[in-house]
Amino acid sequence: MAAVRAAAGDTYVQPSVLPGFGLTFGFTTFFLSAIVLIPLAALVSKAGSMHWEEFIHTVLSARALASYRLSFGASMVAATINLVFGFILAWTLVRYDFPGRKLIDALIDLPFALPTAVSGIALTTVFAQNGWLGQYLALAGIKVAYTWIGVTIALTLIGMPFLVRTVQPALAEVQRELEDAAEILGAGRFYVFRRIILPTVLPAMLTGFALAFARGVGEYGSVIFIAGNLPFKTEITPYLIVIRLEEYDYHGAAALGCVLLSISFLGLWAINYLQHWGRRRSMATGR
Amino acid sequence: MSITLDQITKRYQGAPVVNDVSIDIGDGEFFVLLGPSGSGKSTLLRAIAGLTGVDHGRISLHGRDVTHISARDRGVGLVFQNYALFRHMTVADNIEFALRVRRMRARQRRERRKELLRLVALEGMDDRLPSQLSGGQQQRVAVARALAHKPEVLLLDEPFGALDAKIREELRRTIREVQRELGITTILVTHDQEEAFALADRIGIMNLGRLLELGRPEDLYARPATRFVATFLGAANLVLAQHTARGICIGADPVMALGGSTASGNRDHEVVAVLRPEDIEIAPSREVLHASFLGLGTVEQQLFVGANERLRVRLNNPGDAGQVVTSADGDATDALLEVTRTQHDRRNYPVAAGQTVTLGVRRLHVLATPLSSFTACATSEAQALAISEEPLLVQLATRMKTRVSTRIEPALQQIANAVAPDSPGAECAPFAGVAVINTDPGAVHTVRWLLQLGAEAVLLLPPHTPSPARVLIHWVDEPARRATLAVAASLLRHVSAQAVYVGILPNDDEAGRPDGMRALLDARSEAQAVHGLEIRTELGFGDVAAELTRRLAESPDQLLILGVADISVLTQRFATLLSRTANPLLVVWQPGDSPQPR
Repeated sequence: MAAVRAAAGDTYVQPSVLPGFGLTFGFTTFFLSAIVLIPLAALVSKAGSMHWEEFIHTVLSARALASYRLSFGASMVAATINLVFGFILAWTLVRYDFPGRKLIDALIDLPFALPTAVSGIALTTVFAQNGWLGQYLALAGIKVAYTWIGVTIALTLIGMPFLVRTVQPALAEVQRELEDAAEILGAGRFYVFRRIILPTVLPAMLTGFALAFARGVGEYGSVIFIAGNLPFKTEITPYLIVIRLEEYDYHGAAALGCVLLSISFLGLWAINYLQHWGRRRSMATGR
Repeated sequence: MSITLDQITKRYQGAPVVNDVSIDIGDGEFFVLLGPSGSGKSTLLRAIAGLTGVDHGRISLHGRDVTHISARDRGVGLVFQNYALFRHMTVADNIEFALRVRRMRARQRRERRKELLRLVALEGMDDRLPSQLSGGQQQRVAVARALAHKPEVLLLDEPFGALDAKIREELRRTIREVQRELGITTILVTHDQEEAFALADRIGIMNLGRLLELGRPEDLYARPATRFVATFLGAANLVLAQHTARGICIGADPVMALGGSTASGNRDHEVVAVLRPEDIEIAPSREVLHASFLGLGTVEQQLFVGANERLRVRLNNPGDAGQVVTSADGDATDALLEVTRTQHDRRNYPVAAGQTVTLGVRRLHVLATPLSSFTACATSEAQALAISEEPLLVQLATRMKTRVSTRIEPALQQIANAVAPDSPGAECAPFAGVAVINTDPGAVHTVRWLLQLGAEAVLLLPPHTPSPARVLIHWVDEPARRATLAVAASLLRHVSAQAVYVGILPNDDEAGRPDGMRALLDARSEAQAVHGLEIRTELGFGDVAAELTRRLAESPDQLLILGVADISVLTQRFATLLSRTANPLLVVWQPGDSPQPR
């Protein structure tokens, strides 16, 4: 890298098949600014124009705090569920060839394509107290619709493709021979899984987890139908923001948005750092 | 015996990938399984390791039957072609993997690790990650890892495949040293004959799932039994020659007084001779030739390859016998003799392309195969051509590296109508090799006539027959056994089919059974002892022709090899079978004590 930089007269330009570093870099900057950075800045500046006490009052109100807990808690639980079941799904799709595998593979992407409101309505139909599954769960004393469980189920559905799609390619790269080698050396199946397969796909799993979590925090459409949106109980933060907007309280909405943004960013950064640290550690022991 | 394989068969989607392979490997032996890709050698190795189950047969390691024991409990070490190192673990962790699994104490693990790293000359590399090592170093780690738990058997699956020539040589030496030092029984799988020569105590050569030959490298090179081994192990020219009373003739004159003995007794017959490129001498004239005279030839091509010079020479007027069927590079279409000379010889007698030279043979090896070449035989040219293009025949000829010629024989028409005399007249040219005809109602007479004309065997080919998955073997009279087995052994080395000897008893009674079983065992052990061929055995009852017809009718992808000693038996008992069957049929006749028509 250093050599290339020196040769190119200490710029960042590297030889490439696509010409025009200036053009592409300019476009990247512009695109990112116009689509991501400027709207976010506007959000922050809107919130920033509030009085400090007013901001604190809005952001730390009991209703807001309850909504954070639900939003982040349910997202975390949903992403964790996906971590386990998404892995199993990906494993099945990568390792086994069975009739209908292609179909199931295509079904995985459906939550991406479906308008989220549709999935919300569908889930409500199934899990409402008189729904297909809901009536039996109700007999067992489990209420899904209009509780935090419903929220979690909706977020699990939405986050599932993120995990499967990130873990799938990583699993496909685990060579069968590595498992064969471990088996010949005397390792049992669980040992092989724990010491050989898991370490190899863990980075991909963490990435998938982070993506599913982030998606869960921002999810709105599918949740509001099944959640019931009772303040303090089943009200997610995005819904609270919409309520503020409907009350023409733009500042309040912006303030809540800022909180959502910061926590999500911190969470994503933490996971990224964890991955980076893991990689560094394995490299460091190598030296 | 360290490793005993007994009739191992592994099928994939019905087709045998490993076909009845039996090998005994001694303690501390370095055994090399050599074969082209797809020959089943890697599958066999995986079966020994326990990574693949077998469909038939038994595997024993040091006297312990491990056929149904998992890979984890077999106590073998395996080195993969692409190393298969655990990339997220250090060299130390990789090597200690097997010891950790066995819950060995840290201190003992460390000691064992140091010992192994010294053995593969990688001291001090403990804390590296595989990605920080070169390919050769990674493979050394893989060897150390495979040896960590002190396995009784070391298996190496093309371990040098991904390395460049210099590293390969170095690693080869290391592996040989490690193997000697530990005295560990080792099997190495490779497609590289040079590697096999460099390492092996014994070599087993596989093709089409079958173990073709097995022996010491120098023996296999000097006296191969099959065309495949002759051309796969080193370079070889395969030449069709005449075995006559005077010796082996390639041109008009005999080049060798003694040939290999074959099944056909004293008759002149066609044989396949192996001429190594280095065993052919080139001289300006016959007078200065040291070796026995082969013929005149024209130099067509000249190449330098380091220490040797390679020439391709066309034989002038080779005649029918003396045809080069395959030159050393396996190219059968434009068959030229391949000759190599040392630089010393080249300086003494330099030649140029286009020059006519005198060729001599220093050494010649005659293959023990009765199936030298094929002749498609019919009454019209179109028909003969159609037979010669039958997929099964084309496949056989390609694999046997031999030729298919056509012969138009008007006499066949009369024979089919059963008006011809019982034995062929003197005006008919004798036959050589295998005659191939279409199945038709009068086939039995044609077969008889062709056999009497000197054909080694007659192949009856119904149109569009598939490649056989099973080959049934049966001989009617005991004197025909030797010839039938020789033909079967030769054919079976070129088809990927299961071989079954069918013994048939007149009726199912208790008294006859022991005799029947003895006949089966005799057949199997003779096939094994004389031809190195593994066959299955089955017992049937009733009329021979009816029983064989019944078995053939079960599936069209079965080929029958039928041996007879008394040729009249053919017309009397097998006329219906020969004329009606939808299966390919190979008829072998060994004139026993019965008077010969010639």
